[in-house]
Amino acid sequence: MSLVRFRASASRLQSLVFTGCSRGVSGAVKDKEPLKKAKTPQGRFDIPEEKTNPVLEKFPDDVNPVTKEKGGPRGPEPTRYGDWERKGRCVDF
Amino acid sequence: MASVCAASRLLSKRISTQYPVVDHEFDAVVVGAGGAGLRAAFGLSEAGFNTACVTKLFPTRSHTVAAQGGINAALGNMEGDDWRWHFYDTVKGSDWLGDQDAIHYMTEQAPAAVVELENFGMPFSRTEDGKIYQRAFGGQSLKFGKGGQAHRCCCVADRTGHSLLHTLYGRSLRYDTSYFVEYFALDLLMENGECKGVIALCMEDGSIHRFRSQNTVIATGGYGRTYFSCTSAHTSTGDGNAMVTRAGLPCQDLEFVQFHPTGIYGAGCLITEGCRGEGGILINSEGERFMERYAPNAKDLASRDVVSRSMTIEIREGRGVGPEKDHVYLQLHHLPPQQLATRLPGISETAMIFAGVDVTKEPIPVLPTVHYNMGGIPTNYKGQVITHTNGNDKVVPGLYACGEAACASVHGANRLGANSLLDLVVFGRACALTIAEEHKPDKGKIRWHRLRRDRTPSGSSGPVHITCLLHCSLWCLCCLPRRETVPPDAQCRRRVCGQPGQAEEGCDKMDDIYQSLDDIKTFDRGIVWNTDLVESLELQNLMLNAVQTIYSAEQRKESRGAHAREDFKDRVDEYDFSKPTQGQEKKPFEQHWRKHTMSYVDPKTGKVSLEYRPVIDHSLDEQDCAHIPPAIRSY
Repeated sequence: MSLVRFRASASRLQSLVFTGCSRGVSGAVKDKEPLKKAKTPQGRFDIPEEKTNPVLEKFPDDVNPVTKEKGGPRGPEPTRYGDWERKGRCVDF
Repeated sequence: MASVCAASRLLSKRISTQYPVVDHEFDAVVVGAGGAGLRAAFGLSEAGFNTACVTKLFPTRSHTVAAQGGINAALGNMEGDDWRWHFYDTVKGSDWLGDQDAIHYMTEQAPAAVVELENFGMPFSRTEDGKIYQRAFGGQSLKFGKGGQAHRCCCVADRTGHSLLHTLYGRSLRYDTSYFVEYFALDLLMENGECKGVIALCMEDGSIHRFRSQNTVIATGGYGRTYFSCTSAHTSTGDGNAMVTRAGLPCQDLEFVQFHPTGIYGAGCLITEGCRGEGGILINSEGERFMERYAPNAKDLASRDVVSRSMTIEIREGRGVGPEKDHVYLQLHHLPPQQLATRLPGISETAMIFAGVDVTKEPIPVLPTVHYNMGGIPTNYKGQVITHTNGNDKVVPGLYACGEAACASVHGANRLGANSLLDLVVFGRACALTIAEEHKPDKGKIRWHRLRRDRTPSGSSGPVHITCLLHCSLWCLCCLPRRETVPPDAQCRRRVCGQPGQAEEGCDKMDDIYQSLDDIKTFDRGIVWNTDLVESLELQNLMLNAVQTIYSAEQRKESRGAHAREDFKDRVDEYDFSKPTQGQEKKPFEQHWRKHTMSYVDPKTGKVSLEYRPVIDHSLDEQDCAHIPPAIRSY
């Protein structure tokens, strides 16, 4: 390894053969492709937040204007049909 | 067969030399780390017991996390309320099959339990005054049914179960409970009819661990996966029920399984009744709105059990849709899309994700789906596991059960919405309190040592079980396909006992499948993370549950709560409660059905034997809260 670094500046071809990656003048490893961070879950936090789902939006201050419930379920009242409904799915009955 | 027996005898000799078995000793062991398991585990640690929590999943992955509905308690924040009215509602909801002392205990403890959860940090939604907001849900009424709708259901936005589980897990970390995560519990260690602990397989390295303890609490959850269509996680395989069955103890009321008519085919999510309320209709392969035939007035808005039964009959008679003709369609595309978007926001997203259909153009494939198991391991109101011999309940020393795995029985023949989360915390705590009352913690007794050549009979069947699966290549069938074929049969046979003879047919078919279990072979012979092995063990557990469910259902010749039969449409009680009981002759115990089913299975042959146990009709304190005499259940 140290031998490769020592000779990196002289011979890129040799370093390619030995380690399979390209190196810059300083000897640091250079990625051929850009970082894949943006596609990972961590990377997604770095890009601006996508448009929020308009289906069930948060109430202003998280207070339901009709029932004055704070911290309750978003969207229409889940028990309005007799079961506990959310996004068309029934989760309890 | 003889060669198989000889092989297993040889194997059991070799077992202790070849497989490492590690011994642990604790004051209390809890099997399962869902809502009930965690509450029991840290309740015990808080009381000073050296507690182990053995779980096959990480605690926050247990199925409790999917319970999005609320939790009922008579706090009285929205209007005046009394827990005795909640008691009445629950007894009525159970169709008078629930034990009234356990229901008394649960509903009386409910307000304290919810306040305790709130003190642990569970972020319930609030009213303007800062009190916990309660909404109307789950058949709750005021003044014993005469005062109108009660508002008792407390929730945390729309993730109550998730929040409960995380709150309990976070709280449990304050105490020094030892967690054994990803350990699959194989069997109970029983000696002379007393439970001395549990034996488990460490999935990570394949070693076998024996947890010896004076007190074992089973909180392993339900067994939804016996059915093809269920809302349960893949891990809901009734391991606790099976362990208890193999120990020769009974399971109670397994025939009471709660169905919901419209679950998405293949996915297992439920579609709300609001779809039908807004005008959605159920259609069969001929495009016919079949509910008109079964319920001419209510049509698609008939009660859930009528709709489920109608759907099942249509499928059995060959008018199902799809390549297997095993489900029906829920049609919504005849409704204006604007109406769907405003009244049922999110339904198009749900239909696209889970069913892959555009709800404005195509119908959604649905079929009746299992949601909850009311039955389980029989316990008294303190959480102690009981058997019923010579007409009396007898406690099994050292064994406790709570949560969906147990049958206390608070849900009886039908569970009310938002009562099951309450059941978890109240009885989880009850188990911890009972153990603390009966025993003193014994400090500093953990001993870890490798097992010498083990001679003790208890627990040795578990490892032999595994070695048979790993080593014998005599057998031919792979586990995975088996797991797929058992449930659809269970689904069809069990759901509707339409004409006489169908239930018996179901039992025979189930027997054949049980016998074919002998042919299981695992292809993965490794010791580390052998999921093939674990799934085979789960399949065996599922089979024990399935066989008891179908036999109990076949024997129960009445319709009560969630157990509905076309050939026996009425409830059969000791009196005819639609008329005044005075002047009526009381039917003897053998001739009516207001009793609990206690089912035993011989694991080798799969033969089920059934006994019956009377329902407890008195409350814990008749002065404080009088029991509710049976009546006709109508809403």
